[in-house]
Amino acid sequence: MTHDSSHTACLELFEKLSEYLDDELDEQICQQIEAHAGNCVACKTCLETLRQTIALCHAMKQNETPVPANFSDRWKECIQKMASEAADAHQS
Amino acid sequence: MPNPSDPKIKQDGDFELIQAINAGHTELFTELVSRYERKLYNFGMRMCRDVQDAEDVLQDTFLNVFKYLKDFRYETKFKNWLYRIATSTCLKKRRKSRFAPDRELSLDEFLPKEEAEIPVQTPAWASLPLDQLLNEELSSIIKEGILSLPENYRLVLVLRDIEGFSTAETAQVLGLTPENIKVRLHRARLFLREKLKDYFSHDA
Repeated sequence: MTHDSSHTACLELFEKLSEYLDDELDEQICQQIEAHAGNCVACKTCLETLRQTIALCHAMKQNETPVPANFSDRWKECIQKMASEAADAHQS
Repeated sequence: MPNPSDPKIKQDGDFELIQAINAGHTELFTELVSRYERKLYNFGMRMCRDVQDAEDVLQDTFLNVFKYLKDFRYETKFKNWLYRIATSTCLKKRRKSRFAPDRELSLDEFLPKEEAEIPVQTPAWASLPLDQLLNEELSSIIKEGILSLPENYRLVLVLRDIEGFSTAETAQVLGLTPENIKVRLHRARLFLREKLKDYFSHDA
């Protein structure tokens, strides 16, 4: 992305960034990516901002909201009723 | 009948509970609900935006699980099967959104188009520790960004990067190839990265 001689390398890296960050590439390709990103600010930036985007998504997992209590109580009652009816049917 | 010595089954912490339910202890179904209720509700919120829809996803998913659990043969982990049902429930429930229309994302749209877009140094937000970065405002930017992804991409991103499924598991849940999952995930992440870039450039 910076200049013509490395443009192809930039595009190849851009395509593989997620697989690289997910550790889903061969060692040899990883080394090529690391060597290229070490010398190309644009690609290094893509890599680091994408890494941070993924890390932020992972962190969102902690950001859970509880099931609204009135809904949870109501529908669990239904499930319990359904389950005990099925248990009765199983026994008879 | 499932073979309990199968490694897939051995690793599944739900196996014994499911065996008991299927043996007639259906009252234990509420235990299964308690294990996954919160996760599925939040999955519904991430996929559908709306509280009512998330409640429906939770309820409809478990009604289907209750109905079909006796036919579950452990071809996959219970959790993967559960999310397969939840995913299909979400897709049925979906409301066409003008903010997130179904479309394909192309890699080209995420490439820098002008010289001016090429950075001279890595932006600060890329290296800040998450606890300094992730506040309520940024959380809602991320949530909105995810919700504005076309649904096929949103599903992959939510399953892989938030719910924590592997590429192979996500492929199994969605009935797609692992290659297809990788392509969609990469584009979905790039889409979200653009939202974050915009947010931080306005913030600067």
